[in-house]
Amino acid sequence: MTMIDFPAPSIGSDFAVLRQEVRDFLKQEMAEHTPLMRARSWNGFDREFSRKIGKKGWVGMTLPKAYGGHERSPLERYVVSEEMLAAGAPVAAHWIADRQSGPLILAKGTEAQKRDILPRIAAGTCSFCIGMSEPDSGSDLAATRTTATPEDGGFRVNGTKLWTTYGHQADYMILFCRTGKSEDRHGGMSQFLVDLKNTKGITIRPVIDMAGEHHFNEVIYDNVLLAGDALIGTMGGGWDQVMSELAFERSGPERFLSSFALIEQLIALVRLDPTEQQEIEVGRLAAHLMVLRRMSRSVAGLLDRGENPLLQATIVKDLGAIYEQDVPRLARSLLSRPAEPGSADSYSAVLAQTVLTVPSFSLRGGTREILRGIIARGLGLR
Amino acid sequence: MESMIADMAGRMFSEQVTQQTRSRAAQGEWQAALWQSIEEAGLPLAMVSEEAGGFGVATDEALSIVRIAGAHGVPVPLAETIMANWLAAQAGLPVSTEPQTVVDGTGLTLSKDGKGWMVSGTLNAVPWGRNAERIVSMLTHAGVSFVVSLPTAELTFKTAENLAGEPRDSTEINLVLGADQLAEVALPTDTLIHTGALMRSLSIAGALETVLEMCVNYANERVQFGRPIGKFQAIQQYLATMAGEVAAARAAAEMGVDAFDVAPTPLLVAAAKLRTGEASQTVAALAHQVHGAIGFTQEYALHHFTKRVWSWRDEFGTERDWSRTLGRAALNGSSGNFWDFVTGPSGKGVTA
Repeated sequence: MTMIDFPAPSIGSDFAVLRQEVRDFLKQEMAEHTPLMRARSWNGFDREFSRKIGKKGWVGMTLPKAYGGHERSPLERYVVSEEMLAAGAPVAAHWIADRQSGPLILAKGTEAQKRDILPRIAAGTCSFCIGMSEPDSGSDLAATRTTATPEDGGFRVNGTKLWTTYGHQADYMILFCRTGKSEDRHGGMSQFLVDLKNTKGITIRPVIDMAGEHHFNEVIYDNVLLAGDALIGTMGGGWDQVMSELAFERSGPERFLSSFALIEQLIALVRLDPTEQQEIEVGRLAAHLMVLRRMSRSVAGLLDRGENPLLQATIVKDLGAIYEQDVPRLARSLLSRPAEPGSADSYSAVLAQTVLTVPSFSLRGGTREILRGIIARGLGLR
Repeated sequence: MESMIADMAGRMFSEQVTQQTRSRAAQGEWQAALWQSIEEAGLPLAMVSEEAGGFGVATDEALSIVRIAGAHGVPVPLAETIMANWLAAQAGLPVSTEPQTVVDGTGLTLSKDGKGWMVSGTLNAVPWGRNAERIVSMLTHAGVSFVVSLPTAELTFKTAENLAGEPRDSTEINLVLGADQLAEVALPTDTLIHTGALMRSLSIAGALETVLEMCVNYANERVQFGRPIGKFQAIQQYLATMAGEVAAARAAAEMGVDAFDVAPTPLLVAAAKLRTGEASQTVAALAHQVHGAIGFTQEYALHHFTKRVWSWRDEFGTERDWSRTLGRAALNGSSGNFWDFVTGPSGKGVTA
């Protein structure tokens, strides 16, 4: 059967009490946040905010209590995540750690790594970045050139990572690199836990994006010595580990709520006296979002049952990017107000911000073409 | 949620609904043998409780039959009959395994006729009208909702077909109703269009799954330039796009099913019908692109499915109708807070 199954989200997965708590907290905490600040959402890096929500128990929610976590389900984590994103909360300081680095370390890390790192992730005080892409390895992750060569006392790392989001702020990187030659294109890869603040030989340079923002970085490893216990999981098992990480990376509500601040601005302006066309398009926005939420919650349910829903996650990300990227076009079709960076008119300012961000939605976390290639293979195209 | 009854229905359709069955039906030939098997399996009573003479299976299980029938292009009014019996049972009217149909009652008037009741008016595009033993509808009189079950024996149908050759007939109605042909019901009359829209959403979701499967098979078999066309990235990208839309259609339809409590939840049905309709646009267009000229012929099976979804998307409310309904509610509801509206009062989703 070619059908890719999205089972119904579990009954009782709405967690109304938790949702209300998060809403109340954000309402108070973000009272001063302008629409433009909200539009930046998961690009907003704010350690103090992350620490506060760590205190609330909303980071590392699914981690075991023994490691500082809260043993709550991925569906509860989903509720917190989507409320944060819908409100445009500045979640960047804990997002990657919470979403994928924590689960990776829990699944593959050593006992010492778990004890050292996981409690800090759950406290919202430990920030991670992802060391996958390189100058010559974007979509083609198997073309990774950075090497970690085993030697006495650990591994010697050389190479350059690129597009490292918040590498300049993060405490740790999960480094994906080559540890051996392999006949198999996917073999000979491993993952390492790199302490960016206390390791010699690492240079981090900013790469400014076209909106003028600094979140990307180039991270250069020049003869860096990593201790032997920096290895995460098995030597040579990096490829499979990364593949299971991607289900966490690709299915969340951040894959369809990136333009939500613009949707809110738009609705605030058309709400009082909508034209027929405006009603129709708002209806479409609602229907698509309702279905995406259901699919994303379905993936959270699959993760909850210990499955690896990589294909479903890939579909959510592909559909989600189409949705997010269409919002500026739609807004322009419904209102005659120009995009104006820094405008006092919050709609125009948020439109400008969104227009300058949407190209990345179908690039980050796997390009549209790569995602569709994965889906096609999943369909059984030989 | 597949179940025994759904599995059984799937197996039966696989055996009995062939390309020939669909082609003959599209030429106007009633598929009596198929209906007889459906009757013997009890499928028309899938949504009727045991007390009322039905199966008493869970609603989602019963409704999955409609999706599976859509996936097989079952060329008889099974969805309509399941729905007609459900409505009749809600009002305490008799149910039956004979072919029946359902129509929106907007064109009909219900009036008192002495001690009894009379129904009159014109009905257009009655699904399978000429083949149905009864037409079930919902009408209002003096603020009270009724289910009517109109016998077709005395009616004359002006025949017409939808794009897929399924009967969509017109008739004039002037009937004095007997005791077991009308009853009050504690549901609003627009329950009919909401249930119909949910049925069509499910049928579309099912048909789109088959369209995708046909495309994947074809792309693996059809060789051009020395290799199966499925090896070409352009084709792979199309199929991946289709897979996303097919999955979304299924999720949308099942969202409508999950919210079926005593009756469908109107705004979720609106979203389901709108989203499945939009999915059918992309999926059907790409399916024909992938298949090339052979997919454009009578001989090849694809058209039976693409024509059905093109018809179904316009029935029981168009995408334009449903998106406007949903948009209005979103703009008015929850004091215009879109996120509150989408997540619903408890986060479970829109309910009002």
